[in-house]
Amino acid sequence: MSETSTRRKFIDTTCRVVGFAALGGIGTILTTRASAHAVFQVDSLKCTSCDLCRTSCVLSLSAVKAVNEFSKCGYCMLCPAYMDVTSAPDEKGVPSGRVCPQDAIKRRVVGKEDLDDPNNNYYEYTVDEARCTGCGKCIKACKPPFGNGSLRLEIRYDRCVTCNECSIQIACPESAIVRVPAPGLSPLVTHGETANG
Amino acid sequence: MDSDRPVTGVGRGFSPAATEGCGGGAKRPVWPLILLVLAFASSALLAQYQKKPPDFGGIYSFPTPTHPEPRGIVLLSLDVAMLAIGLGLGAWLILKRRSRGGVMLLSMAAIAYFGFYRKGCTCPIGSIQNVTLSLVDPRYMISPGVIAFFLLPLVAALLVGRVFCGGVCPLGAVQDLVLLRPKTVPEKIERVLRWMPFVYLAVVIWFAGWGMPTVTTSGKAIVLRRFLICEWDPFIGLFRLSGSFHMLAIGAAFIVGGMFYGRPYCRWLCPYGGLLSILSRVSWKNVTITPDKELDCGLCADACPYGAIHNFRADRDNCVACARCYERCPREVERLGGEAVPATLYSKSASGPGAV
Amino acid sequence: METEARRYTPVATLAGRGTAAEFKRSLSGVAVGAGRVIHALGDGEVRVFDANGGVTRAWKAPEQAACLTVAPDGRVLIGLPGRVEIFSATGSRVGGFAAGQAGEPADVTAVKVVRDNVLVADANARLVRRYDATGVERGLIGNRHKTGSFMLPNGSLDIDVDAAGAVYATDTGRHQVTSWTLDGAPIAAFGKFGQTRPEDFVGCCNPVNLAVAPDGCVVTAEKVAARVKVFGPDRALLAVIGKEHFDPMCIHIHLAVDLNGRIVAADPVRRTITIFGRS
Repeated sequence: MSETSTRRKFIDTTCRVVGFAALGGIGTILTTRASAHAVFQVDSLKCTSCDLCRTSCVLSLSAVKAVNEFSKCGYCMLCPAYMDVTSAPDEKGVPSGRVCPQDAIKRRVVGKEDLDDPNNNYYEYTVDEARCTGCGKCIKACKPPFGNGSLRLEIRYDRCVTCNECSIQIACPESAIVRVPAPGLSPLVTHGETANG
Repeated sequence: MDSDRPVTGVGRGFSPAATEGCGGGAKRPVWPLILLVLAFASSALLAQYQKKPPDFGGIYSFPTPTHPEPRGIVLLSLDVAMLAIGLGLGAWLILKRRSRGGVMLLSMAAIAYFGFYRKGCTCPIGSIQNVTLSLVDPRYMISPGVIAFFLLPLVAALLVGRVFCGGVCPLGAVQDLVLLRPKTVPEKIERVLRWMPFVYLAVVIWFAGWGMPTVTTSGKAIVLRRFLICEWDPFIGLFRLSGSFHMLAIGAAFIVGGMFYGRPYCRWLCPYGGLLSILSRVSWKNVTITPDKELDCGLCADACPYGAIHNFRADRDNCVACARCYERCPREVERLGGEAVPATLYSKSASGPGAV
Repeated sequence: METEARRYTPVATLAGRGTAAEFKRSLSGVAVGAGRVIHALGDGEVRVFDANGGVTRAWKAPEQAACLTVAPDGRVLIGLPGRVEIFSATGSRVGGFAAGQAGEPADVTAVKVVRDNVLVADANARLVRRYDATGVERGLIGNRHKTGSFMLPNGSLDIDVDAAGAVYATDTGRHQVTSWTLDGAPIAAFGKFGQTRPEDFVGCCNPVNLAVAPDGCVVTAEKVAARVKVFGPDRALLAVIGKEHFDPMCIHIHLAVDLNGRIVAADPVRRTITIFGRS
């Protein structure tokens, strides 16, 4: 009986050593390929604002939000992403229809305000992320030639749970969800796309 | 009486490199890479302000677009540290203290941290996919945290058995805690079912590494890699408190099933459990049932909901280290200061309960 | 004064697809020299066309050339970021100067010559700078508007001059065509936002380009609607050249008017130049 137990122990020890070696080998290979923590982000150059970001996220309120790049924004009174420019104008001549179904785009006058003629004012547009569903309607309306293209869809990390597999990435027809190293800046920002493309 | 005292110092035997997590033991340091990305990114952000803004005619400062930071490296390291601590604590509680109560508390802490706080992601089970993909495609960005999550429970299995399953895995903990009255599965069926984790493992590796040819909505024929474990994880809907219908339905099915059949996912599906069972077989220390000079009561086998005790020994591959056997063992109760068991009540010579 | 509506039809196409003069990468400006010779800026060079559409001369333009104009004496002026470069009619460089202020180089979107002045449309500062031929700044136009300088949400400012020396500029954010004296005093402004009436300018920022005809008509180009409109000297709408002639993705349609009143329109997306004449 002691023979089988020593033989058993020997087999066990050998297998254990082989196991450690295998794990060590895999660990070494992986560590040479290790990179910084990667997160998912929307590649705006490929995004077509198809609305799937809103519905495919595992969260009930999608972690994808519209973000306004202020340096590219025209601060127009007649913002095509804020208002439906083809809708009926109100008494001041400003179209009354809104593009955002959740009314998530907020605006305020900045600078010197001309109370008589709204045309003379600059407006700062910001997205209320608590309301934004990531549907992309404003992004589509802001794209050139309609606007400057300052709005883009972006995954926001105060909401994204960083799933191992992004369900939006699976659904996206343009393969526009990409993995980027943290801090997860949009490829548009890191490549510094110029305003006049 | 002599009992087979298991591991005394759990800390020994852990390779330091495995627990150092990000930055320290890794071959390529990650800090300079991150600093470089940050520097590049901030200069790219500044470069966008070259165009002079309009004269707004008043006091106005251009707001900087905010980019909320993803989970930072400190917290990611904390996750790895918590995993290591959990494994160490589990090993001590199960093998040294043999405390079912301790294991239950550890399980609940694991559900709280790895389950509801981290929302069950990234988990060692899922890390199989990341590891596969990184081995197949060197360009895949795998983070040191995920590597640690893959390796630590496996190393622990080689050292002390499936302590990960016992006290740290949130999926196992959920099933363990909902268990009411375990039914026994007939041995023949059990044997077939125990092959399923390996089948699932093979499918998962295939889908993660090489993928399935599909046709996209735009008509392109591509090979799409999928993380099946993430798509069919039973309890992630519970941890996120939201999910698609199929995810929530599977979760409910496993919880209900788990009330009557002990740990169905762990025994019959979990691919990582398959890996752990192989390594646990040759572990250095493992759950042991002390051979007794007088008793062969078999209460341990009765207590084990997973059918992992045969011939009064814990099957090293199938034992998930839940410590229920210790809770029921009269000798353990006695050791912890409970009532001494009269020798005549359960005697080896009697043909009472004990035969399995 | 013509008050009846006019009709314009395409009479010729220059640099069309498949022709020898085809622009393969870009088309960013068009100008008429000496009343009839069409110059175009594209593919990194300046091309001079003859009456039949053939290229009589082509020479390399400076890097980042954004716009061009032809002075009455035949010299070609090219605007680039922060600079204006002056070339002879044959393409040899005869001068150039820096445009803009120190630390704030001009974003030159249009250049025009009137008498001995060089007018530079600076979209960065949102006004028109007036220089002499050597680059000495003589004045600014557009900074005395009621509530500030031009509103240029999409960064394009186009200018032209009429026979009397008045400067016309697009104020796209206000949907207006404004006119000024050379000293910068405002003369008049016309136009407003509207989606329904043809004389109004659609969308958020229009008109994007303009040109002044010898008879005092103002020709405007709009994006999104992709159309060219002709306003008479009394600023009544005379003609609309519709979107069937232009690519809907255009964010500019570069304009020039020749001696005979024919409109030269350059489509930067399709990279063709169409000449419209009255029918």
